[in-house]
Amino acid sequence: MTSEPGADPATGTPLSVRGVSRRFGSVQALANVDFTLEAGEIHALVGENGAGKSTLAKIVAGSIRSDSGSMSLFGQPYRPTSRREGAAAGVAHVRQQLSLVRGLTVAQNLQLGRPGAPAIFNAASARAEVERWSDEFSLSVPAETLVDDMPLAVRQQAEILIAVAWGARLLILDEPSSALGPLETKALIALCHRLRSEGTPILYISHRLPELAELADRLTVLRAGRVVVEGADVRAADLREVATLMIGDVSLLEVNRPEIERGTTRLTVTDLSVSSTQEIGCHGLNFEVAGGEILGVVGIAGNGQDSLAKALTGQAKLASGHVVVDGEDISGSARQAIAAGVAHLHEDRSTGLAAAFTVADNATARHVRSGRFTRFGVRLADKIARHAGELVERFQVRPPDPAARASSLSGGNQQKLMAARELEKNPTVLVAHGPTKGLDPEAAKAMRDRCFAAAQAGGAVVVISADLDEVSDLAHRVVVLYRGRVTDAFPIEDMTSERLGAAMAGLTETMEAASG
Amino acid sequence: MSQLLEATFWSATVAGGLRLATPLIYASIGETFAQRAGVLNLGLEGYMIIGALTSLYVADPTAAPLGFLVGGLAGMGLALIMVLLSIRLFANQVVVGFGLTILGIGTTGYIFHVTTDVGGRDRQVSLPSEIDIPLLSDIPWLGDAVFGHSWYTWLSLGLVLVAGFVASRTIFGLEVKAVGEDPDAAAAKGVDVLRIRTQATLISGFLGGLGGAALMLGSVGRFQPYLTANRGFIALIVIIMASWSIWGAAVGAFVFGFFEALGFNLNNVFVDVPIEGLNTIPFFVALVILTVSARWARMPRGLGENYVPTV
Repeated sequence: MTSEPGADPATGTPLSVRGVSRRFGSVQALANVDFTLEAGEIHALVGENGAGKSTLAKIVAGSIRSDSGSMSLFGQPYRPTSRREGAAAGVAHVRQQLSLVRGLTVAQNLQLGRPGAPAIFNAASARAEVERWSDEFSLSVPAETLVDDMPLAVRQQAEILIAVAWGARLLILDEPSSALGPLETKALIALCHRLRSEGTPILYISHRLPELAELADRLTVLRAGRVVVEGADVRAADLREVATLMIGDVSLLEVNRPEIERGTTRLTVTDLSVSSTQEIGCHGLNFEVAGGEILGVVGIAGNGQDSLAKALTGQAKLASGHVVVDGEDISGSARQAIAAGVAHLHEDRSTGLAAAFTVADNATARHVRSGRFTRFGVRLADKIARHAGELVERFQVRPPDPAARASSLSGGNQQKLMAARELEKNPTVLVAHGPTKGLDPEAAKAMRDRCFAAAQAGGAVVVISADLDEVSDLAHRVVVLYRGRVTDAFPIEDMTSERLGAAMAGLTETMEAASG
Repeated sequence: MSQLLEATFWSATVAGGLRLATPLIYASIGETFAQRAGVLNLGLEGYMIIGALTSLYVADPTAAPLGFLVGGLAGMGLALIMVLLSIRLFANQVVVGFGLTILGIGTTGYIFHVTTDVGGRDRQVSLPSEIDIPLLSDIPWLGDAVFGHSWYTWLSLGLVLVAGFVASRTIFGLEVKAVGEDPDAAAAKGVDVLRIRTQATLISGFLGGLGGAALMLGSVGRFQPYLTANRGFIALIVIIMASWSIWGAAVGAFVFGFFEALGFNLNNVFVDVPIEGLNTIPFFVALVILTVSARWARMPRGLGENYVPTV
């Protein structure tokens, strides 16, 4: 089924995909896709969420099969029936969700599932092999650290290293930079160029255009399962035009930032520290946010964002400091925070909503202690349903059925439901943690508008995000978190990728800037 | 009271502890494999008691080693139900596991009841002779402690070495850990998650059965209903205490046996204290160890969660 080992890899085109289609239920994920990966190139495959990029990657890797069409690999017919077969033929797929086993070390991951590995695990030789490859590519991947204990960027390097060590002849990188900071992305680009010069062609999947100019040789654009641009030269392409082709609807791309009048200070954070066993916590944070102002908190995920979000919404016990909303200290009390009008869009919708409960129960959850929907402790179902119906209508949750379970909604509608619960009344403070994460453009626009509306109504808005586009769309001012501390703070006009990159990597020492 | 100051009291307690620990060592080593693979295998008590009864009924007319082996296979047979229902059909592991424990206790009690009435003869085996390792038993103080153990005990110690090697030095051991920690990632690397979980569960059934057989043939000799008396559940505690390490499980089993033996031996010293009170000592010790070890214990992330492969 796979290519014969005897074939000369130099003779054939590394990968040729002809007329490949794939359908999932009623969704045509890929329709008659043609695609060619040439020798010695980095080929970017771009498109919006749901355009079919990952489906194509999985078909090439062998994880799923196409309904029709054909492929060839280095000139040989290629029909993998499993990922293992794909790997044996030399295709390595580094996925969005990394596929290193977290409870094991890199050396153990190197040998796990490796075709032809001996049954006895030789720790010393596995370690030596990891170290050799790590040196070869000038990386610093530790061989005997648990994957759990390594930063995301290093995990990714480890995964690429393992793919190469397994003898990959063709590498698929699926959204490799989505969780990386600017400096880490630079290192990734350097690694990709290095691999290209060693003769490994790379299929690079992304929806972030800016880095592609530096990285890739050619690009192919997918939209709704169809190829709209095939193999264009990256240097000659106008990225703005590519973005338009990806989206198909320009108005969603342009963010109209409304003029918002600045009020007085509503949120004051002084000397805020949270210690956490789960994550990095935060240490000595000071900032103020005025009514009508949107503050962006950026940083690579896992640098104290979760602790900060919990502290601002009264859900964390503070090691020191105060969170004051309109003169009232709400530190460490979620109940007081709710009473003071603090709204919270949780980063993780599965935690931010009670997924097993109905839309109506979720929409009215903030009233659970107010007595508004109970009489003598008995819940008034009709009143709850009616009120929830109004909220669902106002926030355009689809389907508009108060009796549906929250878990049955799509991600975008779950986010709208959470907004309906939190933003029923204009908040004094809105803590929005990754408010547009993973949403399609239409839903993302709706969430951005909610944030603007909260600010326009006089609320202080804090947007916590690892997505720089999200922050630059929304925020007036930015603070950068690194290891739980503020490493830089500046108005959005002063944001440059150099400055941001340095601060996100902890290379600045401008702690004082934050307190201003 | 002065007995407590004598070396012989303590060496006898250590020796007794190792004897009492023997069934626990088999059971907890096997269960460690299952739980490292992510299978919360609460049928362990059932595997043990089925193993115990089967081993007696085979060993009585034939020979002890054959009974021992078949006892292990009987435990494995019961574990096969766990494999079919939970691993292959995705039934809740806790429900199936408890079901198998209840099934094992009930079935063995019933079979014993029926066959003793009908057969009219009490089935029993003579207890095994003690084997001394020549050089080891000559060591002054330690010699007494390791003196007089049956081959069931020596085999269990050998098993610890083999199991420790398999768990940490073989690809199979890595696969077991991988499917218990991160089944999705393991599957993405081409590991057959359901196959590894099946194998680990069957190992647990086999060793659980051997544990019951070692209890029966090595130290009791005749069956009584609910013979295992919660030893399967104690093995589950031992695994948590050991933080899912093979070596730790062996040590934990011994600690349990030691304090159980201490309770028995203290009964000769403090004759006024009821034996029931002294028998609770190992459980108090377990509580303390569990509380302390909770600080560093890390359970396999996928423990108790069924893995449903994506097509």
